[in-house]
Amino acid sequence: MLALWFGRISVRLTSPIGMEELEAIAAGAPQRAASVTDLEELEALDSELLGKRSKLSELQRTIGTLPPDQKPVVGQAIQAARAAITAALDSRRAELRLVAANALLESDRVDVTLDARSFPLGAAHLIQQTIDEVCDIFVGLGYLVAEGPEAEIGWYNFDALNTPPTHPSRAESDTMYLEFGDPADEALLRTHTSPMQARWMERYDPPVHVVVPGKVYRADTIDASHLPVFHQIEGLAVDSGITFSDLKGTLAHFAREFFGSSTTVRLRPHFFPFTEPSAEMDVSCFACDGGQSGCRVCGGAGWLEMLGCGMVDPNVFEAVGYDPAAVTGFAFGMGVERLAMVRHDIHNIRHFIENDVRFLRQFP
Amino acid sequence: MRVSLRWLADYIDLPTQDSAEIRQAFASLGHEVEGVEALSAGWAGVVIAEVLTAERHPNADKVRLCTVSTGGAPIQVVCGAWNFEVGAIVPFAVPGAVLPGGFEIGTREIRGVTSNGMICSERELELGDDHAGILVLESDAPIGEDFTDYVELPDTVFDLSITPNRPDVMSMVGVARELGAYFGVPYRLPSLEVQTVPGATSIAATISDREGCLRFTAREVRGVELGPSPLWMRRRLRAAGMRPISNAVDVTNYVMCELGHPLHAFDADKIVGGRLDIRRAIAGERLTTLDDVDRALGETDLVIADESGPTSLAGTMGGATSEVSDTTTRVLMEAATWDPPTIMWMSRRHLLVSEASKRFERGVDPGSPLTASARACQLLVATGGGEILADPLDVVAVEPSLVEIPLPVAEVERTLGPGFDSDRIASLLASIDIEVSGIDPLMVRVPSFRPDLVRPIDLIEEVARLAGYDTFADTVPTGAAGGLTVEQERTRALRACLTGAGLSQAVNLSFMAVEDLDAFGFPADDPVRAVVAVKNPLREEESKLRTALLPGLLSSLRYNRGHGAKAVGLFETGKVFFARPGAVDARIPDQPDRVAFAVMGDVGVRGLDGRGAGVDVYAATGLWRLIAQRLRLPDWRLIPSARPGFHPGRCADVEVAGTVIGAVGEIHPNTVEAYELAGRIAGGELDLAPLIEPTPHPLLASPSTFPPVEFDLAFLVDAGASAASLLETTTAGGGPLVASARVFDEYTGRDDNRKSIAIRYELRAGDRTLTSEEAAGVRRTMVEAAAEAGAELRGEA
Repeated sequence: MLALWFGRISVRLTSPIGMEELEAIAAGAPQRAASVTDLEELEALDSELLGKRSKLSELQRTIGTLPPDQKPVVGQAIQAARAAITAALDSRRAELRLVAANALLESDRVDVTLDARSFPLGAAHLIQQTIDEVCDIFVGLGYLVAEGPEAEIGWYNFDALNTPPTHPSRAESDTMYLEFGDPADEALLRTHTSPMQARWMERYDPPVHVVVPGKVYRADTIDASHLPVFHQIEGLAVDSGITFSDLKGTLAHFAREFFGSSTTVRLRPHFFPFTEPSAEMDVSCFACDGGQSGCRVCGGAGWLEMLGCGMVDPNVFEAVGYDPAAVTGFAFGMGVERLAMVRHDIHNIRHFIENDVRFLRQFP
Repeated sequence: MRVSLRWLADYIDLPTQDSAEIRQAFASLGHEVEGVEALSAGWAGVVIAEVLTAERHPNADKVRLCTVSTGGAPIQVVCGAWNFEVGAIVPFAVPGAVLPGGFEIGTREIRGVTSNGMICSERELELGDDHAGILVLESDAPIGEDFTDYVELPDTVFDLSITPNRPDVMSMVGVARELGAYFGVPYRLPSLEVQTVPGATSIAATISDREGCLRFTAREVRGVELGPSPLWMRRRLRAAGMRPISNAVDVTNYVMCELGHPLHAFDADKIVGGRLDIRRAIAGERLTTLDDVDRALGETDLVIADESGPTSLAGTMGGATSEVSDTTTRVLMEAATWDPPTIMWMSRRHLLVSEASKRFERGVDPGSPLTASARACQLLVATGGGEILADPLDVVAVEPSLVEIPLPVAEVERTLGPGFDSDRIASLLASIDIEVSGIDPLMVRVPSFRPDLVRPIDLIEEVARLAGYDTFADTVPTGAAGGLTVEQERTRALRACLTGAGLSQAVNLSFMAVEDLDAFGFPADDPVRAVVAVKNPLREEESKLRTALLPGLLSSLRYNRGHGAKAVGLFETGKVFFARPGAVDARIPDQPDRVAFAVMGDVGVRGLDGRGAGVDVYAATGLWRLIAQRLRLPDWRLIPSARPGFHPGRCADVEVAGTVIGAVGEIHPNTVEAYELAGRIAGGELDLAPLIEPTPHPLLASPSTFPPVEFDLAFLVDAGASAASLLETTTAGGGPLVASARVFDEYTGRDDNRKSIAIRYELRAGDRTLTSEEAAGVRRTMVEAAAEAGAELRGEA
C-alpha cells in the first residue's frame, strides 16, 4: 500500500530523502531487526531507524517546507513508515526478551531432588496417637473422654470396684503404695484406669458413655513385655437397658475401626472382680486373617488377646450410689502399648519409654 | 492345670479328640489354654511280654539268659537286671525296635549266646529315672499288646489357666463336667467305694483357729507298705506336671488332680502326742517344709501342730518331721477345708505357691474332704496293702451353708438381652449340675463345689457362659452427645504445634531420683523437694514420684546423644506429684499436669548442610511464643528470672494472666554437664491447666485497605532494660494508629552500660491514608513516652 502511494506522488517531491528511500527503509526494517541478536543491538537499531538523527526524523523536519497540499500526504507516509518500523522492532524485541528470560531461567536450573530446605517434623508419641485414635472412635459413638488422678486411694482403685480387702491384686507385690496421707486411705498408684469409673459415676448421673485414657502402675520389673508404668483406656457405658450384646457389638465396632474392617472378635468368659459376666476379647489376626501357621503376629493361633471387659458388677453400682435394679452397664479396659505393639509389629515394650527419635519418627 | 486327654477319658467320652476343637471348647467355657503339649512315645516296637525263664548266663556272671513270650513262640534274650522273677510282665523291645535316642535294637551275640531284642528299664524308655532294674509291669498288663498304648501314649496335654473364681475346674472331674456341658455328653465319677475295717482313727484333732480352718478330717490306713506307685499313676502324674514320690504321696496328688481336693499324708507314728491342733503360729516358731526350706513363722500363719510344734503350713505344704517315708506303716490321710484368704496370704508371704495352695486359695469344695480321703486311701491300699479304718476323724468348725438363689427371668434378660426363658435357663444350669426348681423366679440350689455362685448375677454369668458368648448378637448403643472438651482439644492443639515445630513427644516413667533435683540445683526448701515416695518400690529408680518433667526430658536427650543423634527436640505432657493434698481430693497428692520441652543441636528449617537456626535461649522463648500464638493466649509476658537449672542470664518466667506458670530458657551449663550433655540446651516447663483453659472466640479486626506509614527508631537504653518493655512503652505512647512494632536490631556499643534497640513501626488507619503530619505526631508522642521511661532517641532511618 505504501509503495502504491509513493508511486503516485514521488516525482513532485524535493526533500532529504526520496520516497523510494523511505519505502526501502520501512520495507527493510523487519529484516534488519531479525539480524539483531541481542536487546542492546536492538536498541541501537531502534535509535538508528526512529531516533532524532534517523532519516525518518530528518524527513519529518522538512514537512514544513512542503507545499500545503503535499504536507498531509508526506506526513501520512512518514507515520505509516514509522508504524511499520516500530512493529518490526517490537516484534523482535519480544522475541529477544523471551530468549533472554529463558536463558536466565536455564541458568537457574538446580537438582530438585536435593533436600536442601527441610522442615523438620516432630512426631506425637505412638502411645499418644493410639490413645487419640481410640478415643476418637468412641467419641464417634457419643462417648466423652475423661482423665483421672494417677495417685489414687484404695477405695477407688479396689473397694468401689468390688475388689475385697483380701484380693491378691492389693498385695505389695502387685501394687505400689505411696507414703502419703492417712494410711487408712491407702494412697497408691492406680493399677488400672478403672478407678475413674467410680469417680465418674459418683459425680454424674446415668446415662454414662465415657472413655478414660491414662497411665497405670504395677510393681513390675522392666523387661521386653513389662513396664512399671504403662497406659490403659477404660470404657464405661451405663444406662437402662444396656445388655451383653451391646458390649459385644461396641467392641466389635471398635476392633473393626482400629484393626481394619475385616476384623472379627471373639469373647471368652473370664474373671474380673468388677464385672460380671466378664470376658476377654480376642481379635482375629489382621496379618494372616485368622490362622496361618507361623504367622509372625499371632503365631498361627488366628486370634490376638486384646482386652478385658464385662457387664458392670451390681456391687460397683451400689458402691457409687447407682441403683443396680434401674441400670445396667458394660466396662472394658485395654492396654495401649498392647494395641500399638500388635498393630505395628513392635516386640519390645521398652521402645515406648526410651524416647529414641529413631523410634518416634517412624510414626509421624 | 494340666489336663491329659488320656486320663480325662476315665471320666468322659469326648465326641472329638481334635485338639483344635477341644481348645475351642475350653476357650468358649472360659478356661484359657496356655499351651497344648503332644506327648508321644520315644520308642517303636516295644510290646508287653511275660518272662518265661530266667537263668544265669552260661558264660557271664552278671547277666541272665531269659526267654520271654509276647504270645507266640518263646524268645531268647540276655538281660543284665536281677529285679524280676519268672512270670514278671515286662516291656520288651523286639528286634527292629527303636528306643529313645534312635537306639536300634537287633539280634546280637552276647558272650556266645544270641540275644533277640531287649527287656527295657524305665530310663531306657524315658518314662522315669529308674535304672536300677528293668521295668516290671502290673500283673494284669495285657501280654503281646503294644506297650505304647498301655502307657497311654500318645497323649495330648492341655495347660489351662483357671480363673481365680473357679476352684471346681482345678480337677479332672471338674474339667469333664465343663466339657460335658459344652459337648452335650455325660461325665462320670471314679469309683468312690471304700473297703474299711472297723475302728476309729487314733489321732485326735482340735481346731483352735476357727477362722482359718472350717473343717478338719482324716482317715487312717494301717499296715501299709510304702513303695513306688503303679506305672500308670506315675505316668499320669508326670503328664499333670508332678513328680512321683511314693505311693502314699502320689495318691494324694493323684486325687487332688482327679477330684480337686488337696490331701496330706502324715506318718501317724511321727505325730508327737498323738493329737493335732490347728492354730496360728507363735512368733519365733520355725518349720522346715517339704521343699527343704527352713521357714520363720509369723502370727498370721496357720499351722497344723502336734506337741512338738508346727508340722505343716495349713493347706500349703507339709513339714519334714511328720513326712511319710520308707518305714511308714501307719498313714494319716488328712483332708481339710481352709479359709481361702488365709491360705492366699500365707502362700504369698512365704513365696510358696503349691498345687494345694492354688486350690485352697480359690476355695475347695467343703463337701468333699471325706470323699477325697476315701478315694486316696483306697488307691493306697491297692498298691501298698493295709487296711482303712472305718471311722474317720471329722472336726467341723463351721458348717457349710446351703446356698439357694432366687433368679427372676427378667433379671437374666435385663443383663443378657432377650432370648432366655425358664426352660432354657434351667437346662443350661443343669448341664453343670446346678439344680433348678420353680418357673419364675427360678430357685437355684448352688452345689458345694461352686463357692463362687452367691448372687443372681453370678448365675446370669453362668447362663451367658453356657449359652456361649459367640451366640449373642452385636448391637451398638450410642451416647447422646460425645466429644472432646475444650481443654482436651487445646491440649491436642498444643501437641500438634510442637510437633509442627519439629519436636517429638516423649513419654517417660513418672519417677525421678533425688539426684535429678540436685542436678537442677533446687534449694532444700524448694516446693519440688516435696516428693511423694513409693512405699514398696521394686528398684531405687522407681522410689520417688517426679516433681518436674525436665529431668526426664534431659535424660531422654542424653539417651539420644548416646546413640549418635545431634539435633533432637522433645516435649512431654504429663503429671507431676507433690506431697501436699490435692485440690479436688485432699486424700491424694496434688498432681497437676505439665508440659515441658528440651531441645539440643538445632531448630527450624535445615539447609543442605543440615544446619538450622541453632539452639539458645531464643529457641526456648520462640517455642513459647509459638505455643502462646497457637493457643491464642491474650495476656502473657516473659519476665527475666533465674530459676534453678536454668542459665541465670538466659531464663524467663512465663506469666499468663498475671500468674507465673513456669519458666523457659537455656539450661544451666552445670545441669547440662550433670546430664552428660553439651552445648546450649533450650528448655521450658509450664503448668498445663492455664494454657488449655477456654479462650474467647477471636473477633475480626478488619485489615485496613489504606497504605501504611513505616519508620524505624533506635533508642539507647540501660543495658539491663528489656526490649519488651520498650516496645510496650512506645506502642502505648503511639496510640491506636500503631499497627505493629518489631525490634529488628539490638547491640551494645563501646559503652557497656547502654545498649541500642532499633524498632520498626508501622502506622495505619482503618478509614484513611495517613498524612505525614499525622505520622510525625505519632512519632513524636512515641519518642516522648520513651524518654520518660529513660530511653533516649538515638537516630532514625
